[in-house]
Amino acid sequence: MKRWMLPLTALAIALLLPLLLDPRGYWIRVLAFTFLFAAMAQAWNIVGGLANQTSLGHAAFFGIGAYTSTVLLLKFGISPWIGMIAAAGLGGVAAFAIAIPTMRLQGHYFALATLAFGEVLRVVANVWTSVTGGASGISVPFSSPSLLTYSFKLLRPHAYVALAALVIVTVIFEIVRRSAMGYRLRAIKENPAAAEVIGIDTAKVKLQAAIVSGMLMAMLGTLYAQVAVFFDPDTVFSAASISIRVALIAILGGIGTPVGPILGAFFIIPLEELMNDWFSASAAGLSQLTFGLILIAVILWRPRGFVTLFKSLSSRFGGASA
Amino acid sequence: MRGKSSIASFRISRRSLLAGTAAILASPAVIGSARAAAKSINIGVIQPLSGANAQFGINSRNGIELVADEINASGGIKALDGAKINLIVADATSTPTTAGNVAQRLISQNDVTAILGAFASALTIAISEVTERRDIPLLTMSFADQITGRGFKNVFQVVAKASVIGKAQFDYTMAIAQAAGSKIDKIAIMYEDTAYGTAQAKGLRAGAQAANVQLVMDEAYPLGITDTTPLINKLRASGAQAVFPVSYLNDSLLLIRTMRQQKIAIPAIGGAAGYVIPDFEKGLGEFAENVLSVNTSNYDLSPELTERFRKRFGYFMVHEALENAVALDVLVQAIEKAKSAKAEDVAAALRGATFTGGWAKAMTGGAVTFDQTGLNVKSVPLMVQWQKKELVSVWPKEVAKASAIWKS
Amino acid sequence: MEFVQAVIDGLLIGGVYAVISIGLTLVYGVMGIVNFAQAEFVMIGMFVAWFAWAWLGLDPVLAAPLSFAVAFAIGWVVQGHLIARVLKAPSVAQIFLTVGLLIVFENGALMMFGSQFRSVTTSYQTMSLSLGPLFVSLPYLIAFGMSLACGTALWWFMRSSWFGRAMRATALNPSAAQLMGIDAGLMYRIAFALGVGLTAFGGAIILPYATVSPTAGSDYVVLMFTVVVLGGLGSVAGAVAGGLAVGIVQALSALVFPIQLQNLILFLVFIAVLGIRPQGLVGASR
Repeated sequence: MKRWMLPLTALAIALLLPLLLDPRGYWIRVLAFTFLFAAMAQAWNIVGGLANQTSLGHAAFFGIGAYTSTVLLLKFGISPWIGMIAAAGLGGVAAFAIAIPTMRLQGHYFALATLAFGEVLRVVANVWTSVTGGASGISVPFSSPSLLTYSFKLLRPHAYVALAALVIVTVIFEIVRRSAMGYRLRAIKENPAAAEVIGIDTAKVKLQAAIVSGMLMAMLGTLYAQVAVFFDPDTVFSAASISIRVALIAILGGIGTPVGPILGAFFIIPLEELMNDWFSASAAGLSQLTFGLILIAVILWRPRGFVTLFKSLSSRFGGASA
Repeated sequence: MRGKSSIASFRISRRSLLAGTAAILASPAVIGSARAAAKSINIGVIQPLSGANAQFGINSRNGIELVADEINASGGIKALDGAKINLIVADATSTPTTAGNVAQRLISQNDVTAILGAFASALTIAISEVTERRDIPLLTMSFADQITGRGFKNVFQVVAKASVIGKAQFDYTMAIAQAAGSKIDKIAIMYEDTAYGTAQAKGLRAGAQAANVQLVMDEAYPLGITDTTPLINKLRASGAQAVFPVSYLNDSLLLIRTMRQQKIAIPAIGGAAGYVIPDFEKGLGEFAENVLSVNTSNYDLSPELTERFRKRFGYFMVHEALENAVALDVLVQAIEKAKSAKAEDVAAALRGATFTGGWAKAMTGGAVTFDQTGLNVKSVPLMVQWQKKELVSVWPKEVAKASAIWKS
Repeated sequence: MEFVQAVIDGLLIGGVYAVISIGLTLVYGVMGIVNFAQAEFVMIGMFVAWFAWAWLGLDPVLAAPLSFAVAFAIGWVVQGHLIARVLKAPSVAQIFLTVGLLIVFENGALMMFGSQFRSVTTSYQTMSLSLGPLFVSLPYLIAFGMSLACGTALWWFMRSSWFGRAMRATALNPSAAQLMGIDAGLMYRIAFALGVGLTAFGGAIILPYATVSPTAGSDYVVLMFTVVVLGGLGSVAGAVAGGLAVGIVQALSALVFPIQLQNLILFLVFIAVLGIRPQGLVGASR
C-alpha cells in the first residue's frame, strides 16, 4: 500500500495543478510542455534506459508523428486522434527501419548513427515540399474547439491531454520493465554476450523496445502539433531541442527509472524558463550560459540522476524502495 | 523651560506639517502628476539574443531602444499624460516553442500592450499563435508570406512580403542592367534552404519566368554549409550572366570569396540578410565594392533619423534595426491615437491605418499603411549597392541616392 | 574533368576535416569520452587566430600554434576540474557534461566577444592556382598542407615520443600502464588538452576562408562526428580516412545530386558504412 501512496499523491497534485493555474496564463503553458517533454523522455527511456541504447535520434519519430497527423488533417480532414494512430504506425515502421542497420552498433556508434537518422529525416522534410510544406513549415488548420477535433481554445485541456499521455507512457514503461521483455533487456544490458549464450534473441528484444519507443514518441509528436499549431522541420526534427533534450531530461532525472524523466522534465523546463526570465534581458547569451553552468553542476553533483537523491534519502530514513 | 518650548514648537510644527501635507495631497495636480510620473506602459521586445541570429536580434533591440529612449526623453506618450515606455526585453532563443512561451510570459506577467519581434519568421509565427489568441498586437519585420496570410487580425508587418522582395531582387536587376545597356538572358539562383531563402527564391523564380529569362542554375544549399566550392563549380559551368544568392553572412562571404578564387566576375545581386550588414564589407574589403543587394529599407533614405543610431551604436543603421524602430514609433503613434494602453484599442488603431511622421518617414513610401491582413502596403523593396564602404540606395529612381554601377 | 575537379576539392577540404576531427578521436581513444564540446574549440581556435591577426597582424596560419596553445591550456583546466570528475560516471553523464560545456563555451563567447561575424583579409584568400581547366583554391591548399604537417607531427608524437607511447598504453590498458609507472590521470589530461588543441589548430587554418562568430563551432559538430565515427572512433588513421572520405563524398555527390541533399547523402553513406562495418572504416574489429 505504501508504495502506491507517493505516485498516487503525485498524480493527484498533477490533476489539480492545471485547475489552480490561470487558464490563459503562462504557467499552464509551461506545465503542459513539461508534461509533454516528460512523456517524451519516458518514451525515450524505454530504449535509452531499459535497452541501454543511447539514441540521439528520437526526433525522427517525433517529427514523423507531428507531420503525419497534420498532413492527414490538412489534406484529408482526418481527426488528429485517428492521425495519432497513423502516426504510431509510421513511427513503428521508422523504428524498424532505423533499428535494422544500427543493430550491431556499439554504444557511441549507435548514438551517432541515430543522430544521423534524425538529420536525414529533417532534410527529407525540408525538401519534400509538396507533402510537408518544406522549410516554410506547416500549420494545423483552424477548427472550432472540441475534443473530437483535438482543438482547444485554452491551454488547460492540452495540459490534461499531456498529463494523460505522461501517465500512459509511464505505465507502458513500467509494464515493459517488469515484463519478460524487461528482464531480457536487463540481461542484455548487464552482459550482452552471456545473454546471447542463454538463448535471448538480443536483436529481437532490442527491436521490440525500439518499436514501442518509436510508436509512443510519434504519438507525442501529434500532441505537440496540436498544441504548437505551427511547426517546421527544424523544430520537430531538431537534434538539439528534441533528440538531445529528451535524452538529457531522462538522464538528469535518472535513466532507466520510471520517475527519472518526470524529475528531469520538472527540473529542466522550468529552469530554462526562469533563466530566460531573469537573465535574457541583461546580456545576450547570459540566460543560456547560466543554464549550461547549472547543467554542468548538476551532472557533477548527481551523475546518475536526481533519482539517486531519493534513493539515498529513503535508505537513510528506512522504508522499502521499489 | 527648554523642554516646554521644544514640545510646544514640536507640536506646532507637527500640526502645520500635517496641515501642509494634507493641503498638498488634496491638490489634484500633485495626485495627477504623481500617478503619471509613476505610470509607464510595458512593451514586449522578443528577439533572438542567443544562437545563430544573435547579431540580428541585438541590432533589432538596439533600434527599438533608440526610439524608446527618444520618445521617453521628449516627454513620453502625450495622450497618456507622459507615460514612459518600459521595454520588456527577452530572448526568443532559436526554438519557436520557447519564443511562444516567452510571449505568453510577457503577456501574463508583464501585462504588455504589444510585442515587437522576432526577426526569424519561424519565431515570429510561433509568437503570433500566442498573441493572436490573446488579442495582443504583434509588430514585426519578418517577411514570410504566411505571416500575413492566415487571416490574423493582430499581426502587423512593416515590410513587404518575401515573394515580393524576391521578385524585386530580379526585376530591379533587369532594370539596372537595361539602363546600363546590358542584356541578361541567363541567370543563376543560389539560396540557403531555410524558410527565408526558400521563400525569396520563389519570388526570384517568378520574376525570371515572367521576364522569360532562363534559369540555368537553381540550387538550394544547407544553411551552415562549410564549403561552397561545388556550388561555384556549378555556377561556372552554368554560363549564367548574373547570380542571385540569398544568404546569411557566413555563406555570403564563402560564396563571394570562392567566386573570386575561380575568377568569376559576373554581377552578384544579394538577397538582403548577410549582404547588407557591416560585417559583409568588413569581411570582403575591396571585394564588397559594387556588390548589389535587394533590401527592405535603407538608412540613407532618412539620414536625419538614422544617423542617430550610428552615433550611439557605432555602425550604420542596418535594416532590421531601422524597421523595428519604425515599428515602435508606429505603435506609439497608434497608442497616441487610441488614447489608451489597452491592447485591443491599440490593435484597432493599427488596423487599416496610415501613419506618417516620426520614424514612419524612414520607410520606402515615406509612410506606413497597414491593410486588413496587417501588411504595410506602402513598403516597397529597394536595391542597394556597396559604394565606398556604405550601402547606397540605387533603385528605384524615386529613392535612389546615387546611380547603380553595373559591371557586366 | 568535373570529376577530377571534384576529387581535388574533396581531398583538400577532406584534409581540413581530418585535422579538425583528429582531436575528437584522440580524446575518445584515450579516455573513452565522446566530447560534444569539441567543435567549440574550432571556434576558440578561430577567435584566437582572429585576435592575433587583428592585434598583431599575424596571418592565421602562422597563428595556428598560438590557437593550439590557448586551447591546450583551456583543455588542461577543463579536463582536470570537470571531465576527470565524471570519468567513473555512466558514459551518458559524461556525454551530457560535454553538452553543458558546449552551451557554456558558445554563450560565453557570445558574452565576451559579441555576436558580430569576424573574418580576416589575407592576400591569398581569393587566389587560386590554375592547372589547365582546374582550379586549386589557395587557402584550401595551404590549409591542406598545414593539416598534413600537423597530422605527421601527431603521428610521430604518438609513435616515437614517450608521452605518445604512454598515452597509447593508457588507452589500451589503464591498469597495466599504471603498474608501469604511468600516471593515468596525467595521460588523460594530456590527451584531452592535445585533442582540443589540435581542433583549435584546425580552426585557425581555416580562418582565411571561414568566418568566426560564437556559433561558428556548431556547423562542424555533426561533420566532426561523422568523420570520426566513419573512420572508427579512437583511430587517428581513421580520422584521416574519415575526413578524406567525407570531403570526397560531399564533393562527388554535388556532381549528381542537388547540393541541398549534400548532408543527406553523407549520412546515408555513413549509415551504410556502419551497417557493413560497425567499427568504422579503419576501426579495429571486435
